[in-house]
Amino acid sequence: MDVADEMPIFGNNAQIDDYGDEPAYLGPCTRCVLFTLENEVYGIQVKKIREVLRVGNIRNVAGAAYGVLGVINVRGVIVTVVDSRSMYNMPSREINDLSRIIIVELDEERTVGLLVDFVMEVKDIPDDKIEPLSASKEGASRYIQGIAHFQDNVIILIDVDNMFSGIE
Amino acid sequence: MDEEILQDFLVEASDLVDQLNDQLVDLENSPTDSDLLNAVFRGFHTIKGGAGFLAITPLIEVCHRAENVFDKIRNGDVEYDEVAVEVILRAFDVISEAMEKLNDGARELPENDPQLLIDLDALTGKKVEEPVSEVSNSAESALQLADGVDPDGDMTDEEFEALLNQRDTSGSASSDSATLSLPEGVDPDGDMTDEEFEALLNQRDTSGSASSDSATLSLPDGVDPDGDMTDEEFDALLNQRDTSKAEPKLAANSAPKISPPPPKAKPKPSPKATASKPSTKDQAKPATKNTTESTVRVDTKRLDDIMNLVGELVLVRNRLLTLKGKNTDPEDLANAVANLDHVTTDLQASVLKTRMQPVKKVFGRFPRVVRDLARKLGKKIELKLEGEETDLDKNLVEALADPLVHLVRNSVDHGVEMPDIRAAAGKPETGTVVLAAKQEGDHILLSITDDGKGMDPDVLRQKAVEKGMMDEQAASQMDDKSAFELILSAGFSTAEQVSDISGRGVGMDVVKTMITKLNGSIDIDSVLGEGSKISIRVPLTLAILPTLMVGFNEDSYAIPLTSVQEIFDFNPEKTNKIDGQMMVRLRDESVPLYFLNEWLAADKPKDNYRGDKVVMVAVGNQRAGLVVNQVNGQEEVVIKPLGVMLKNATGYAGATITGNGSIALILDLPGVVERFQ
Repeated sequence: MDVADEMPIFGNNAQIDDYGDEPAYLGPCTRCVLFTLENEVYGIQVKKIREVLRVGNIRNVAGAAYGVLGVINVRGVIVTVVDSRSMYNMPSREINDLSRIIIVELDEERTVGLLVDFVMEVKDIPDDKIEPLSASKEGASRYIQGIAHFQDNVIILIDVDNMFSGIE
Repeated sequence: MDEEILQDFLVEASDLVDQLNDQLVDLENSPTDSDLLNAVFRGFHTIKGGAGFLAITPLIEVCHRAENVFDKIRNGDVEYDEVAVEVILRAFDVISEAMEKLNDGARELPENDPQLLIDLDALTGKKVEEPVSEVSNSAESALQLADGVDPDGDMTDEEFEALLNQRDTSGSASSDSATLSLPEGVDPDGDMTDEEFEALLNQRDTSGSASSDSATLSLPDGVDPDGDMTDEEFDALLNQRDTSKAEPKLAANSAPKISPPPPKAKPKPSPKATASKPSTKDQAKPATKNTTESTVRVDTKRLDDIMNLVGELVLVRNRLLTLKGKNTDPEDLANAVANLDHVTTDLQASVLKTRMQPVKKVFGRFPRVVRDLARKLGKKIELKLEGEETDLDKNLVEALADPLVHLVRNSVDHGVEMPDIRAAAGKPETGTVVLAAKQEGDHILLSITDDGKGMDPDVLRQKAVEKGMMDEQAASQMDDKSAFELILSAGFSTAEQVSDISGRGVGMDVVKTMITKLNGSIDIDSVLGEGSKISIRVPLTLAILPTLMVGFNEDSYAIPLTSVQEIFDFNPEKTNKIDGQMMVRLRDESVPLYFLNEWLAADKPKDNYRGDKVVMVAVGNQRAGLVVNQVNGQEEVVIKPLGVMLKNATGYAGATITGNGSIALILDLPGVVERFQ
């Protein structure tokens, strides 16, 4: 499958889901935290996430890279907060009551906070519902691991490893 | 190579290398000290054992030969004379280099310099070397050792197997062309257990030359046949096998190679008794030491203390939790909080202590450095170490190593004079360099003192003028102390003749920069004709930093206090613009002014800096005035690294959490200045 085939799906053209009404799906699943950005649903594997925080004081750091909002104090550890909107070239927006910071574990020592619009829920997504994105990963789609069509939703699964690879 | 075993080996061997470093220099002064000789022998032996296990052949080759040499020396067969010292030290250098490479992640070591091996062999009277030449000279049928395999070294199982195979096929091809087969389920590349090994031996003996060696090998007394085999035992077995076995056959081909030469075989039992013990003990002890920077050796008692304090902490938490729900008596709460304060303070101190290491870690390398240098220069120098047990933060220990080496080299090279000059000046021929460490409050004071020729402030002044660093008048007004400090400035090399000793690439200015980076300071004192003293003051730990907190509206920033010289009110009338740069005149000196606002709050431009403060800081050898909105006073802060994506942001040394839980950014002054230039 090439990118062109996927485009319509990507454009919010949700397909009817066969498994949609089946409450207990028993195949292999990927457990994801689902959140929204600009009304699109995104997912990150739960095993990559340490916690989800309400947005407190974000200390800005002058001269930081584009998209970096600043740093927060998570129980004595300084964690960089990145506006996930900037990752997908969306305009940033005001932080409100629904905004959350998802603390993502890059590896044992490094964590990063992703500011998102709204965190929905934790869900098991059957692996056979996930369509991997084609090999040619360019631009922002480089950060996308795959697309899942599941229970009336089109879920864009984020590849956090790729998203923050090569950064210091 | 098993990475885990390798790491254990590195930890252990690095320790041994450090010890050997000391011991070898000591040994030179008392070459007949049998305890010392034994210790050195054991050191090489244990490294060899570990290296053998991991099949690090170049290391095995050198260690094994060195071990042989010391075996001879302690038996009185060979003297530890100057020739031996040179060769052994060369061998030691090869070993420590190899360790460094392994520590740096290299897994393949280059081949040894053959000359070194020959020289080492020569020390033991060549006996070791012969078989090698024999191999190459004798018929093609002789077994060939794989390249780089030490004929006497402990064999790795692969090598062993290869040899066995080779021998069976070439040595007695007629009778047992069948090569030895490993029992089923045994990974031919895996580590061999002794059972398997034994089985193989048996197999070989029976198939290879069953007639001649019906005598099975007997293990030495006290050796558990099922226990882990030490390499000595392995050696012994091999010897036994080779000697007990059919002479005619083995003598023809493999005996000279596999079995150590007879003279060596004899003394073996004694080293075994002494050596096997420490080696097993070494292995048994938890291998945790700072070699790869990832581990620290911590006293178990200290850990117990910490555990105990953590227990206390949990108790306090429980108490606070029970207080939470009810109508709390303020006194109870105050008690609990006071308790919490206590526990955390103690805990902090205990945890900090685990990061501490004795200065010995750095000092340990100096006897060798000084010795080598003195020899090269033909000087007589005695190095005295004082306060080696002073504890210092682990990171500091590592960071201080290079600057100290440079300073000590300087003392030896430029400070202490040649023996004849010293004698002419009425000083003892042997110069003394004292390397001392002591704790002074929350600082460590390191000093390097020599009784050499000292520095002439007038020469330094003159040189400064020559180099165009200042005019004659300024130079003549400079006091002696400032003149000495000239040697710390960039481009001010005192060496008129560049020697390879001073050409280490770390100039005094680099030393100064490094020390400044550690929030330390350098002080130089010298008396012409009597010697010099260089003192370094560094904070006990890098983790806690005294800072000056400054603010912009609600954002606070921390400036390392050691760099702060003074603070005064910003007065626009005293500033002027020179070449586009705002300068302030301060006691006849023009200092550039940097308005931090322009950088830190660029979106809120300010046109009126009235009421702001100027924090005068020293960055390297220059000064700069930082204009800040308000000064909030001193605070000791715990440095925390900035998160991902911010590591490369210039101008920040890290972040910290202030008393009210908010984040303050710690400014990195060289970076700040760079930003404004």
